[in-house]
Amino acid sequence: MKTWIAAIRSEKIKLRRSYVLGLAVIDPLLCVLIGLMSDLGTAPEAWNMLFTIMIALHALFFLPILTGIFAALVCRYEHAGGGWKQILSLPVTRNVLYTSKFVIVASLVALNQVLFFATVLGVGLIKGLDVSLIPWGDFGMKLLAGFVACLPLAALQLFVSAWWSSFAAPMVLNVIFTIPNMLVVNSEVFGPYYPWAQPMLVMMRAGGEYDFGAFGLPLETLLITIGGSSLVFILAGLTYFNRKAV
Amino acid sequence: MTNFMIETRNLTKKYKGTSAVNALNLSIPQGEIYGFLGPNGAGKTTTIRMLLGLIKPDSGLVRMFDQDLKKDRISILRRVGSLVEYPSYYGHLNAIENLETIRSILNVDKIRIDEVLHTVGLTKDAKRPVKGYSLGMKQRLGIASALLGSPELLILDEPTNGLDPSGILEIRELIKQMPKQQGITVLVSSHLLSEVEQMASSVGIINEGKMIFQDSMPNLQRQAGSEIHISLSQPEAAMIIAREQGCFPRLHQDQLIFKGIDNGQIARLVAALVDARHSIYRVEERRKSLEQLFMTMTANANSAERSIVEAPRGAGLRKEVAQ
Ligand SMILES: Nc1ncnc2c1ncn2[C@@H]1O[C@H](COP(=O)(O)OP(=O)(O)O)[C@@H](O)[C@H]1O
Ligand SMILES: [Mg+2]
Repeated sequence: MKTWIAAIRSEKIKLRRSYVLGLAVIDPLLCVLIGLMSDLGTAPEAWNMLFTIMIALHALFFLPILTGIFAALVCRYEHAGGGWKQILSLPVTRNVLYTSKFVIVASLVALNQVLFFATVLGVGLIKGLDVSLIPWGDFGMKLLAGFVACLPLAALQLFVSAWWSSFAAPMVLNVIFTIPNMLVVNSEVFGPYYPWAQPMLVMMRAGGEYDFGAFGLPLETLLITIGGSSLVFILAGLTYFNRKAV
Repeated sequence: MTNFMIETRNLTKKYKGTSAVNALNLSIPQGEIYGFLGPNGAGKTTTIRMLLGLIKPDSGLVRMFDQDLKKDRISILRRVGSLVEYPSYYGHLNAIENLETIRSILNVDKIRIDEVLHTVGLTKDAKRPVKGYSLGMKQRLGIASALLGSPELLILDEPTNGLDPSGILEIRELIKQMPKQQGITVLVSSHLLSEVEQMASSVGIINEGKMIFQDSMPNLQRQAGSEIHISLSQPEAAMIIAREQGCFPRLHQDQLIFKGIDNGQIARLVAALVDARHSIYRVEERRKSLEQLFMTMTANANSAERSIVEAPRGAGLRKEVAQ
């Protein structure tokens, strides 16, 4: 446990002055624009409407794309400067190193959710929505569920990024798989099993009544799929990483 | 098994059917600077990567500090500092931050960062992003990283590769002081004999994945060097006297050439020759350069194993090597 915390600390230091992280700002910025342009009225449902409108862009595109970028980032500095051979010669197990990278990716996704939430609140206030009507519990559920739904993708992208000694390639691949999201979320068959669509499905679904296409599936089913695939991808990544020759 | 910091048994690694490292037996005693010498592609880096657990051997054993690397990798690595092939660094971070990433895992005192930066002479540049460093500075940062955990064993793979002469000198001086000042055992690889000669106290020579020589530096020099050339009158007759003395010279341009004879033997031999009324013009020691020896060794090893024993010149070498 102590070495694990140490490894996570070490990863945190490596993120300093990482300009790539600045990309994460594009997400809230564009979502703000969409939010500001929307017509909400003053109904009690206005907060939910605003949230749903802003989620569309955030969860459908930015969340999966940023997850891929974060995963690529934590491998990039190892690929670039010959870091793998250095950290793998340190007295820590490969399991600890790999999972600490995963924790960092997950934390960045979580941070991104918090940032998104802040922009929703900000837009709502600008629009003059009633603060006392904010459905905190509902929003909290959606944000948390959206975060959890990113974990399989985070695990998958971390695996690909650790394996592929290129920074751009795994990210491009990730974007390519994100683009069909709009179609995939409408498919009851593929939607729930498509890691890039899961954040959208879950964020729409959690605490709300939104049911067409894959949105109609019970949340529990989705979460089981998500939990299961996270585990599979992490284990696959660990298996690979433990054998990785450097 | 005692007193060896590193010991390998039949260590083997194959790439696509050919052995990059072939049944290698390495023995590195404590407190030595062990020069791991071999031409490019000989298998030095591959061996070192196996010592650090970066790649897995196809067969064979690695023991370090009398522990099995397979079983006790983490506790072994705690006592080892390494620099493999070229220095690793995070270009966007400065030297202190680079070292901090390692320090947090090694869990050593923060003061160590200042200490190692001072040791390698990077204190002044410690706050600059490493991507702006020269190769020599990166190399020194790499050595600083290797020293951070106060290792008992330092493994440096061609640490002077690509440096200018002053950089080479700096690194060499740095390495030479390790055993003296801190009691560190050093394994340093190089493809340059002259470099190994200038810093190592023992030597292993690897060629095409095989260890072809392993001994102390003085022994290597002894074996490389000293032929005694005696020029004198009536050399043919002198040959017989030499044989009676138990020395077996070869005759070359009216000179008797002796290999591997000690002071006592020379003294007795000269006395006997003078008694037999030979005029002795000159007794001189000629050192074959290590370079030549190295070339002969690697060339011999290249041309099939067996022929070494049969070829007269190679046989002589082999015998010496075996002593
Ligand atoms: N990953 C690899 N794949 C295939 N061949 C390799 C690999 N690594 C090393 N080799 C081969 O193994 C041999 C030894 O290489 P290396 O250990 O790097 O030599 P040295 O460090 O002594 O120059 C070379 O012939 C090299 O081409
Ligand atoms: Mg090499």
